[in-house]
Amino acid sequence: MIGVVDACFIIDWCRYRRRELLERLFSVLFIHEETLGQLRSEKTITYVSDLLAKGKLRLYPWSHSEEDEYLRLRSEIVVDPRIPSLERPDMLCLIMAKRLNAILLSENIGIHRVIEFHSKYSNVVVWTALETLENIVYKGFLNVHSAEDFLRYVREYEHDTSHIFKSNRLKQSLRRIGLWLRR
Amino acid sequence: MLADDVVKKWVREDEEARRIRREKANWEFIEKQPPRIRAALKYFIEKGDRYVAAKIAGLPLDEFDEIRRKANIPVVV
Repeated sequence: MIGVVDACFIIDWCRYRRRELLERLFSVLFIHEETLGQLRSEKTITYVSDLLAKGKLRLYPWSHSEEDEYLRLRSEIVVDPRIPSLERPDMLCLIMAKRLNAILLSENIGIHRVIEFHSKYSNVVVWTALETLENIVYKGFLNVHSAEDFLRYVREYEHDTSHIFKSNRLKQSLRRIGLWLRR
Repeated sequence: MLADDVVKKWVREDEEARRIRREKANWEFIEKQPPRIRAALKYFIEKGDRYVAAKIAGLPLDEFDEIRRKANIPVVV
């Protein structure tokens, strides 16, 4: 499985006590050099450098055709006040994920909204940390015997990263975990 | 083209997230911050957008995020 990481996701994930699970879930992760440039704190840089050194994280080779795609996407969404502002690196991550057929790891509301309405990007799979944790469970990298077990892992993540997952999304996630447990 | 029901759903989601951020925030900490940081934290509470908030604060994204955590403002996703 291939992933693309945006800045906010990696900033948050590096604070998670079980952060090494990300390396087990994905065969390789890609990051754009402009996303890398957004990271400055020692904790984040140390984590990202370690992933790069292990070959688990790679810099994405950006191309001219992708730059043209960025300009098209920007012109389509920048003027719509209903779409939360998207920085250039966020849009680059979306384009990368589409080109690579990769899972985009992003908690950016703007990105999630673009894939809800934009026909060209609606097939891009975007995971927040919640779906990432869920898939770590499905792959057997976290042992879960009940929905409550999973909820405990979610609460750990929320605590470590100062996150709150919306109640309806959490309910849906717990329902999926419940169905998976009964498989 | 955005359907009205999609936009209404987004508005409801934004309202829920804003309410949670307002409730959890350490307002005493926020009010003690220098003007740019204070404005950035208040913007983040209203909009939940770390990128723009970091720009208001004049800080890199992850340095702003350190302050967000100290202000006890959750990321609501």
